[in-house]
Amino acid sequence: MPIEAAARGPRGWFELYGALLRSAWLVDLQYRASLAIWLFWGMTEPLISLAIWWSVAGGGEVGGYGRAEFARYFFGVVLVNQLTLAWDAYYVDRWIRGGELNHRLARPVAPIHEAIADNIAYKLRSAAVVLILWSGFAALWPAVRVPFEPARWAAAALATLFAAGIRFLNGYATGLLAFWLTRATAVMELQFGLSLFLSGRIAPLALLPAGAAAVAGVLWFPYMLAFPVEVLTGTVPLGAEYARGIAIQVLWLAAWFAAYRWVWTRGLRRYGAVGG
Amino acid sequence: MSGGRVVAVLRAFWRASIAEELQYRGNLIAAFWDTVFWGAMAVLTVAVFFGQTDRLGGWSFWEVLLLLGVFNVLVGVIEGVLRPGVGRLSEYVRTGALDLILVRPVEPQLFVSFRHVVPWRVTDIALGFGFIGTALRQLGRVPAVAEVAAFALTLAAAVAVVYSVWIALMSLAFWFVSVENIGVVFEAVFEAARYPVSAYPGALRFVFVYLLPIAWTTTIPASALTGRLVPSSALMSAIVAVAALAASRLVWLAAVQHYTSAGG
Repeated sequence: MPIEAAARGPRGWFELYGALLRSAWLVDLQYRASLAIWLFWGMTEPLISLAIWWSVAGGGEVGGYGRAEFARYFFGVVLVNQLTLAWDAYYVDRWIRGGELNHRLARPVAPIHEAIADNIAYKLRSAAVVLILWSGFAALWPAVRVPFEPARWAAAALATLFAAGIRFLNGYATGLLAFWLTRATAVMELQFGLSLFLSGRIAPLALLPAGAAAVAGVLWFPYMLAFPVEVLTGTVPLGAEYARGIAIQVLWLAAWFAAYRWVWTRGLRRYGAVGG
Repeated sequence: MSGGRVVAVLRAFWRASIAEELQYRGNLIAAFWDTVFWGAMAVLTVAVFFGQTDRLGGWSFWEVLLLLGVFNVLVGVIEGVLRPGVGRLSEYVRTGALDLILVRPVEPQLFVSFRHVVPWRVTDIALGFGFIGTALRQLGRVPAVAEVAAFALTLAAAVAVVYSVWIALMSLAFWFVSVENIGVVFEAVFEAARYPVSAYPGALRFVFVYLLPIAWTTTIPASALTGRLVPSSALMSAIVAVAALAASRLVWLAAVQHYTSAGG
């Protein structure tokens, strides 16, 4: 039984995640229409940006980006965004304010594992759809073809995995602020708005004003989206620059993990006090 | 229902809504900051594009800002009237609350559309008009009376188009119960209305004018104030609005006809 997983070592964890993933996958299956709608929502914003940049670039280049570069960049954004997207701040906020956290606390594993499994199940499904769509487009439209270089794809996959980790822990920790705030989701909205620029959702970071790009460089935002996209499109060469990016991702991952642990332990103590 | 009765009913709805919303005065502060923050993000987004070019589809920065003002006014209407009103339709259908609405002596479409409004979202409308005023000053334009009239007509048409799209989309709830997220589809497509249609590649421009009525919501009213509007387009926008209202009414009637109540 996965219930005693935590006490069971690696095999127990394996069984636990097997069960959580199966249940997350089945829950998602019930909401296929919703998934399609959110997938559509996730694709329109980058595609609108692409359309505008496409016109701005015309036959020439802006900041080193011609039409084909923009097309590859924003297709990359659609894919990586789908693989890193995390709604957990909203769920966790609801768990805490609505009391749904209580039955989760009664389980022998921390609720974060349920959230991780949900994310894996959701992302596998929606990223598969994006990949199929992208292949279809690439067959007809040479501008969005990414050169076939398995090493680069593997490097981009690793960067995307870390990006997903940072974004997940960031969202989860932000949601946990609901232990103290009634509008924890507003903190998420704030970060979401800033990420328009700092994560490279509206434009590649190279096209932002120098000040904004400098601010982005010292925060976690570009490492949740722009960095893996630029690895995939080839803007970031697979040498020292890539290694440096991965190292910074690992640092941010550790920082947000620490933030999660900190907020979770303090918050639980406070939550217990409210109920007790 | 006679015109006078409609006005009386609307007034009763809004008085009730305001009384309900006054219980949550903190929401005014939240709506205010929400408006300010997203307004700033929208301006910065436009500024990023103008960092690389001085024309977007032939429109200057301040002209695009004027268009963004129109967009914000419509966002205020959507968040203040449509989402709290028609947006609840799928909930009414799912819970069976629609039964209680259908037996009332009020036209159900009127009830569903306007029973609940969130007055705080006037902050979006105010910011929108603020953008429009600032842009006009920066452009050094004082619109002629005819231009203001054309703007009022095309903006009213834009509101009618957006309302019709919501009615039609939400009516899908009668056939597919789980369409609570259908508003998201509208939101995603409506994002395209932040920019003049001329800033899009040719194929999309065709789609936004003829298939999805994006052009009629922001580009046309903004054109009226920037002196780009030809009289035939103003007339056309009125026709599009009337056609949209009529089509959405037909969808609504077909949907209600289809409804067999939660118990049926």
